[in-house]
Amino acid sequence: MTWEIGEEIVKKILEKAPYAEGRVRRERRLEFKIPAERIREFLMIMKENNFPLMLQISAVDWVRDGEIELVYHLMNIELGTHAMVKVRIPRDLDKAKMPTVRDIYPAAETYERDVHDFFGVYFEGNDKMEMPWILDDPERGLYPHRKDFDMLGYVKKKYKILDRFDENKDKYVI
Amino acid sequence: MVDWRLFEPLFNWARKKSLWIVSFCTGCGGIEMPPLMTSRYDIERFGIIPDPSPRQYDLFLITGYVTPKTLKRIIITYEMAPDPKWVLAHGSCPLNGGVYWDSYNAIKHLDKYIPVDVFIAGCMPRPEAVLDGIHKLMEMIESGEADGWKRYRENYEWYRKNQDELLGKGWREKEARKWIPWLVDKKKEVKE
Ligand code: SF4
Repeated sequence: MTWEIGEEIVKKILEKAPYAEGRVRRERRLEFKIPAERIREFLMIMKENNFPLMLQISAVDWVRDGEIELVYHLMNIELGTHAMVKVRIPRDLDKAKMPTVRDIYPAAETYERDVHDFFGVYFEGNDKMEMPWILDDPERGLYPHRKDFDMLGYVKKKYKILDRFDENKDKYVI
Repeated sequence: MVDWRLFEPLFNWARKKSLWIVSFCTGCGGIEMPPLMTSRYDIERFGIIPDPSPRQYDLFLITGYVTPKTLKRIIITYEMAPDPKWVLAHGSCPLNGGVYWDSYNAIKHLDKYIPVDVFIAGCMPRPEAVLDGIHKLMEMIESGEADGWKRYRENYEWYRKNQDELLGKGWREKEARKWIPWLVDKKKEVKE
């Protein structure tokens, strides 16, 4: 399905940012893929092109690829159009770093702290990164939303229960 | 000298007729509170009111899953209240973890950390079920069965041990110290 207004917006943005890939997913939904180091530049272009609102930064952990995908969700209120800006960064803790976009979209501050707490991506330049946020002390530094986090092992260790975690049973009864 | 214990049945009757709920909705069950309080079920007709102050309440509704972080606040709020006080736990999460039984961050037995008088099963219990639980609690108060506050005082060591095991020793002081600098001066944030 084509959506002409969307095609126009994508074309206009891609002219200014030739390094990006962009397409119309469906009506009112655009998708861009860009290299991680161009994110600030690209978000500035997006903001100038009438995407003034950041809804969320979500993260997807691709264990097999060894990458974390960050999705910046932007909104154009006039057209009700939702744009996703996707970047991929390595998932090793020392390499999972991104520049902050807090000065472009102030709302990004909390989303960046979320992603840092749960996925361990470090946003350079956001000075609240190290502060306590959602997770409590014992969980901080474990990144519980990463796919390779050993959830059951952690639960057993922490709460010291129950026969429902018995490994010899093949079905857990909830 | 009057022996006030003689009047205990009268007091218990009065207590059951004037339960005040602390406004501290901990989980998804909190969404059952609006219909319960407003014209649909109107529990004010039983003399129950929601009360923002933790020092005056006597009924504590744990409305759903409890995370260790919330548990700290729950324990502190619970200990602040004067005796006698009662706890009513909503839903399967405080009972045994419910749908969050394998989650890293939801406690599995609320009963290990604070005494619970009435449990309501279900995910999530309807307001009728909550009403029923409150009725049950009222009966228990009148007959003197609802003695969670007494159990807490008598077995404080055991509860304290469980709390410290989960939350770490000295968590009260640590928690207070963690947030005070942040409230006082935002520049001097603690990195811990
Ligand atoms: S029992 Fe169900 S409704 Fe209640 S807190 Fe748990 S998940 Fe939520």
